[in-house]
Amino acid sequence: MLLIGENLNVMVKRIGQAMKDRDPQPIQELAAAEAEAGVDYIDVNLGPARKGGEELMAWVVKTVQEVVDLPLYLDTTNVKAIEAGLKVYKNKQGKAVVNSIMCRPERMEAQIPLVTRYDAGMVALLWGPEGMPRDAAERGVLATEILQRAAEAGVAGEDIWVDPIITPLSVQQNQLLECNQFMSELDMIAEVLAPGCKSTCGLSNVSNGAPDHLRPILNQTYMIMLAKLGMRSCIVDAFDKDLQDIARGKRPDVDALVHQVMDRNEPDLGSLDKEAQHYVKTGKVLLGHSLYSDSWLEL
Amino acid sequence: MALEIPKMSYNGVIKEIPLGKEANPVIVGGETSYPFYLFEGEMPHPPKIAMEVYDAPPEEWAQAALEPFADVINDPAAWAQKCVSSYGAEMVALQLASTDPNAQDNSGEHAVEVTKKVAAAIDVPLIVLGSNNLEKDTEVLKMVAEACAEERLILGPVTEGNYKALGAASLAYHHTIAAGTPIDINQAKQLNILLGNLGVPDERIMVDPTVASLGYGLEYCYSVMERDRMAALTQEDERLQFPIVCNLAKEVWKTKEAKLTEQEAPLLGDPLKRGVLLEAMTALLLLLAGGDILIMRHPDAVQLVRGFMDDLMAN
Repeated sequence: MLLIGENLNVMVKRIGQAMKDRDPQPIQELAAAEAEAGVDYIDVNLGPARKGGEELMAWVVKTVQEVVDLPLYLDTTNVKAIEAGLKVYKNKQGKAVVNSIMCRPERMEAQIPLVTRYDAGMVALLWGPEGMPRDAAERGVLATEILQRAAEAGVAGEDIWVDPIITPLSVQQNQLLECNQFMSELDMIAEVLAPGCKSTCGLSNVSNGAPDHLRPILNQTYMIMLAKLGMRSCIVDAFDKDLQDIARGKRPDVDALVHQVMDRNEPDLGSLDKEAQHYVKTGKVLLGHSLYSDSWLEL
Repeated sequence: MALEIPKMSYNGVIKEIPLGKEANPVIVGGETSYPFYLFEGEMPHPPKIAMEVYDAPPEEWAQAALEPFADVINDPAAWAQKCVSSYGAEMVALQLASTDPNAQDNSGEHAVEVTKKVAAAIDVPLIVLGSNNLEKDTEVLKMVAEACAEERLILGPVTEGNYKALGAASLAYHHTIAAGTPIDINQAKQLNILLGNLGVPDERIMVDPTVASLGYGLEYCYSVMERDRMAALTQEDERLQFPIVCNLAKEVWKTKEAKLTEQEAPLLGDPLKRGVLLEAMTALLLLLAGGDILIMRHPDAVQLVRGFMDDLMAN
């Protein structure tokens, strides 16, 4: 599982201020710390960046690349700012990735040419003209369309990262099942249109709305599920050590437990220690075997 | 080959909750199938209709709603008696609407006095509902719970914000709780868990999912109730196996369509029938979604729903 650090975000107060003041130090420190923590990519999130987005993105990309060689995700809804970032980006250890391109005709027309012009990668965000897809089939339709357009424009499969859109468990339990279903079909869809295509997601969205202290186990368990379904990368907190251990395959015991739940073959709870019980319970609630409530670990 | 009708198999049961006086309880719940799927399971206790009584004379009510109660609106006890003896109400729901700080802001003492009078006037179970103001409800319902210790009331809405105070009071003074959440199945389950953790026994909990009127979001409530029963009956979700209370009348009768006069809306038909039909349709849909107690207002709407329910139960 590849990890993309999400911490360099305009919404983080210190970073937002540094971006505004063009103060390189906090930004470079954070980028270096993310690299040190072991992520594979760094997401540079400017938010909407409506005013002065172009100049800001160019500056942030240069600033970050002065201290780290990791490839970057360029994350803003301002199309021109993305282009400004791509213009100054230097490919040291990998291509920059445009995060993201929605499956809306005007967006795809404007942004896919940038990907080929600057030899970048792209996140194909499955958000259509009518908004959020309602089920696996609608995700499939949107994926087919954007993959086809990207392939026609000459984007290689390996440069496309499909984002199926993860919804919060606490309000959209069934949507997660649809997302899982789509993930299990993505390789088949991509095989013809964009062989080798990758995938990514905003993992922590799954735990949005859940009690703060319970968010890590939700993120971890869902990442294991997604990995089994073929997910190639997750945008995550670069400093979440436990999550990283799991992503790096250092917790085969936890992987095995979650896989057993997915195969409807989980061990008897009574035979497990507390931690293992928690992973099994979390797996079951993520798969809709039981209805979500904030107290799911206590039942 | 004969056609075999597929049947749903259920593994859960809705809990049976005894309400009202100990000697003469009215039981709700007990379903073993989806609502009125009598070919798949049982409804040992058909849904009940509770009729509304207000703690102060209502203001701005539609003429249609006011008419049947014109002689009793100043006397909640007489109003309650009329609901039971003239209209066959199986329960009474006392709405403490006048305690709302944004209305008359009547005191807890006033609420206690009215509740005692109404309780003394009837034999059927009494539901006592706050004004949906978290702080005031907590204060008022706590006082009512204590002052009416032996009445075995149903108190609501008990919410995430006041479940500790009201849960403890219900426990101490032997009342039942209507656990209220804002059209959210996950929060409904969570509140039931919290009440259980507090020590409130299962036979003292009912679910108030929050309902809306036909035309004002009823479909969302329907889905939530449907999902509630699916989890309870087919996923063995023990924390959702509770009867459902639908506090619907006040939602229906506050809609524009229920209140407009013939002069204001000549195209909407007879205003005396309009609100009644809106109420009956709303109640009917909530019955089909799994409601166990319907809190209703107009006697004609009550009669329509009762007739429909009898037809469904006759199968």
